[in-house]
Amino acid sequence: TGVVPFVALLLLQRRPVAGRALLVTGSGCPSHGLCMKREGWGHRGDGGGGGTQGTWGDTLLSSQLKCQGEPFSSESDKLCNPAGIVFPSFRVNRTSERKEVMVAMYKLFAFLNASLGNITRDQEELNPMAKELLERLHNTTKTTRGLISNLTCLLCKNYNIFQVDVRYGDSSKNKSAFKKKQQGCQVLRKYVQVIGQAARVLLPHLSPS
Amino acid sequence: MFSRWNWVACGFYLMLNICSPDASSGLVQSCGHIIPESPVLALGSNFTALCILNESCLDFGNIYASQIIWKIKNKVVPKEQYREINRTVSSVTFNDTSSLATPLTCNILADGQIEQNIYGITVTVGLAPEKPRNLSCIVHQRSRFTYVMTCTWNPGRHTFLDTQFRLRYSWPEEIFPDCVPKDVNNSCTVTDIQFFVNTEIWVEASNALGKAESDHLVVDPIDIVKPLSPQNVSVSSEVVPTVLKLFWENWISDAVMTLKFNIRYRIVGDANWMEVPSEDTASPRTSFIVQGLRPYTEYVFSIRCMKEDGEGYWSDWSEEKTGITPEDQPSKGPPIWRIIDTSHSPASWTVHLIWKALKPFEANGVILQYEVTVRDKSSLSSPVKKYNVTSTNYTLQLQEGTYEVTLIARNSVGASPPSVLLIPASNSKAPVKNLRTLPKHDKLWVGWTAPNSYVLKYVVEWCLVSSSSDCVIEWQIAPGDVQGIDLEGIKPFKCYLITVYPLYADGQGSGQSVKAYLKQDRPSKGPTVQTKKVGKAEAVLTWNHLTVEEQNGFIRNYTILYKTIDGNETVVTVDPSKTEYTLSSLTSDTLYTVRMMASTDNGSRTGPDFTFTTQKFGKGEIEAIVVPVCLAFLLMVLLGVLFCFNKRDLIKKHIWPIVPDPSKSNIAQWSPQVPAKHNFNSKDQMYPEGSFTDVSVVEIEADDKKSFSEQDLKPFDLLKKEKSTSEGHSSGIGGSSCMSSPRQSVSDSDEGETTQNTSSTVQYSTVVLNGYRDQTPLHVFSRSESTQPLLDSEERSEDHSGGADSTPQRQQYFRQNGGQDETSTDRPCFERAKQITHANEGDLVGFVQLQISGQSSQPLGLGMEKNTQEPALSSVLQTCTEGQTVRPETVEENPLSVDEMPKSYLPQTVRQGGYMPQ
Repeated sequence: TGVVPFVALLLLQRRPVAGRALLVTGSGCPSHGLCMKREGWGHRGDGGGGGTQGTWGDTLLSSQLKCQGEPFSSESDKLCNPAGIVFPSFRVNRTSERKEVMVAMYKLFAFLNASLGNITRDQEELNPMAKELLERLHNTTKTTRGLISNLTCLLCKNYNIFQVDVRYGDSSKNKSAFKKKQQGCQVLRKYVQVIGQAARVLLPHLSPS
Repeated sequence: MFSRWNWVACGFYLMLNICSPDASSGLVQSCGHIIPESPVLALGSNFTALCILNESCLDFGNIYASQIIWKIKNKVVPKEQYREINRTVSSVTFNDTSSLATPLTCNILADGQIEQNIYGITVTVGLAPEKPRNLSCIVHQRSRFTYVMTCTWNPGRHTFLDTQFRLRYSWPEEIFPDCVPKDVNNSCTVTDIQFFVNTEIWVEASNALGKAESDHLVVDPIDIVKPLSPQNVSVSSEVVPTVLKLFWENWISDAVMTLKFNIRYRIVGDANWMEVPSEDTASPRTSFIVQGLRPYTEYVFSIRCMKEDGEGYWSDWSEEKTGITPEDQPSKGPPIWRIIDTSHSPASWTVHLIWKALKPFEANGVILQYEVTVRDKSSLSSPVKKYNVTSTNYTLQLQEGTYEVTLIARNSVGASPPSVLLIPASNSKAPVKNLRTLPKHDKLWVGWTAPNSYVLKYVVEWCLVSSSSDCVIEWQIAPGDVQGIDLEGIKPFKCYLITVYPLYADGQGSGQSVKAYLKQDRPSKGPTVQTKKVGKAEAVLTWNHLTVEEQNGFIRNYTILYKTIDGNETVVTVDPSKTEYTLSSLTSDTLYTVRMMASTDNGSRTGPDFTFTTQKFGKGEIEAIVVPVCLAFLLMVLLGVLFCFNKRDLIKKHIWPIVPDPSKSNIAQWSPQVPAKHNFNSKDQMYPEGSFTDVSVVEIEADDKKSFSEQDLKPFDLLKKEKSTSEGHSSGIGGSSCMSSPRQSVSDSDEGETTQNTSSTVQYSTVVLNGYRDQTPLHVFSRSESTQPLLDSEERSEDHSGGADSTPQRQQYFRQNGGQDETSTDRPCFERAKQITHANEGDLVGFVQLQISGQSSQPLGLGMEKNTQEPALSSVLQTCTEGQTVRPETVEENPLSVDEMPKSYLPQTVRQGGYMPQ
């Protein structure tokens, strides 16, 4: 399916990134010492072999669909088609500069983090007894935050980028239960697709130069 | 008067206002307060407190700051530390808060006398927290997807205050909730962690005196993981007998963390672990083939893992799993040896072949059987004999000769290489030399000097020497190139006999033996000593050797310790081979205590005490005294005998006086009826009258005789006169009584034989007469059949005394000192008559008459009744008279019976009875 787990992405980010340093435009990276510690890290050699196994994103989507009941269980392809949802554009490829890739990924995970927050809030309301789903949502959200944290450091330390504008989607707060469920599964399906694409784009930029 | 009321009012006011420290919100107000209120102070710092008086108290109570007294608990603070700032404020300063205590009170001395409390505060002294040090964190895997991070630190010194510790962690743009430890102050566990994100971790400590922060630790939690150990470990055997394959499952997905492993293994029963080289297991895997194992051996395996790059911590070792490698053929032949028994016949051997079971790593499986092959090398034509044995010994009957024994062990896979033992006809080869032993910890090293010839191998035999059982031989084979081995399983304090045989290619050397102990101790008991012989100045001591079990080592010597009760102890050392020793120079007739001590190299033990007393005389001393004494005694006896022999006449005169012969009495000579057959002449010659020097009469009491009256005696006396000769033959001792028949006495005296019989057998009788007053007395005759021979004089008196005298003579015996009191009441009635016989028989009649008449006024028999019992006396007299009266009638009525009566005094029956009661 080409799905790459969050963990793989987290690992990929930890590759030493060699790129042209941008001018420092800010006063400094947040928690500067913490970001400095990151330099020189990155020593995974297997290229994320765990990607062939069940992924968190894939598992999360399956778990989410299972808990929504009908018609989402049987009509997920139709109801959860993410074609029309708002989602950050991910217009980078393997040849793009690392800085652009990192910025794109930051936008992607920032949006995803916000969306997971909405989904978690909705599912806590709609399926408060779905402990496994809620736990997966929490874990995925936290992983996403970890990605954002790492990207923040990376952008700051390597490119002196201290701020990235992110466009968020509509909130589902005041929508119906059906719309909440539909929006949740659409986001997750989109997320699964984009993660795989992001991983493929990111891989060439992780080789030490 | 006013002043007194003023002070009373003041005191009351103070009681209302001063004595209530927290009365500020009440109806009454305090007269002052202290600043600062309940301070928390750093230990060792300085501190100043102010006591501020209310103005109202100044006006009414007339109290001022100069009257303030500061107190710590009940102890007054020195006034040097006071300072009066103004009339309402007093301060106190402490340069070191360590001298402070709670409460600190401000007091007033009203009117210079009454001390009242104004206010008090609680002072808390402590320390600011130190910077937490040594912060470290570890992520524990709890399950496949659950991880917790536990951080520990050194909280620093005790602050004496309530100090809070917080573990804080954050990402670059996100700070997480603090982790507050519970019940401890040096660790906290975070359950919400995220891998692959750098996390900043630190500890904050804070209390009322300050705050401290540890160094920040920046770490990716994935790098401090201690994973769970691999699970579901299993072991499977392969075709190759030296390998086993392990399988396991990991708790962590490779996507999260790749792992490396450690594999350790050991043989079951062996505590030492072996480990697979780490480079072979440094990559992620879930199985591994362990090689280089022993065949048919059970192994225990255990695995652990950690992050492949070495960051983090090793997991715990997994649960242990066992596996057994397949069998293989035995790697070597069993060691074999033999014991040859030639006790039956030197030419016929009983050969006990013994071999050791192969060790597991040599057997490589279960030994199913042993194959023993015996070849007679002295006779090439002899067939080879084969035996299949399942035990580890086999006994053969062989003729003396040279044999080659081959042994093969076989398991399910194959056979071992053969073990060969050559049994020569004789052990004629050179033995080992200089055999010696040396204890080495718990082993006994046996060493020897090799013979000059090439030795294939050595056989070392040893056995535990015991006094109660045979020596059970153990043995071990040593290679030919060694000159010593360690014997295992040797017990301390036990004696072992060790023998070494060299085995050559063409024969065997004779065995050399040595006794040895692994460890010696002092004997378990001492020898028991005793004396074999004790003399006047020497004693021979003997003892038994201690048994080998009691020795506990080589007995180096015996020590004899002996002493007298109050003397010094003398010590003598004796060679251990001896069992006897002679103590000399002892004191005679003295009690000695001796004990014996046996000594080994490691100590001594003393046996029980033994005491003996030396002889008072030496050997031969007693004989030297006794023999002369005896000889002297014998000589004296001999001299005495000779003296007596020479003086026999004189002695005879005094000791053996001549008894008067009645036949030679005057009356006998006078009586014409004296039988001629009696040869009185001889007695006259032998006993002349003049020879009687002192003859007395022994009187036998017969009370009933006293009852005879004079009338009764008269006819009796007359009769006695008429028949004096014949009646004189009647015995007064033998069978007569006061009722004896005179005729009977006469008839008895007629026969000379009777006299002879009487002298040999005399019958005594006692006559008891009973009668009281007018009752007919019952006459009882009690006979005695004594065989006591009568004295010759008695015989003669029996033969020659008259019939009337028969009764008194029966009651008379010769007795010295014949001057008896004749008036004694115990005397029988005829006592006077007895005196006549030896006094003057010619006066007999007259004397008797006189005696009877003399007693007319005094009844006879008073010896019994003492004249006070007249009725009894009369009865007795009557009885006695009747007896005298009846007796002649009896003679007349039954004269034949008298003649027919035996002439000797044989027992008389009633039927024959002349003595029937009448």
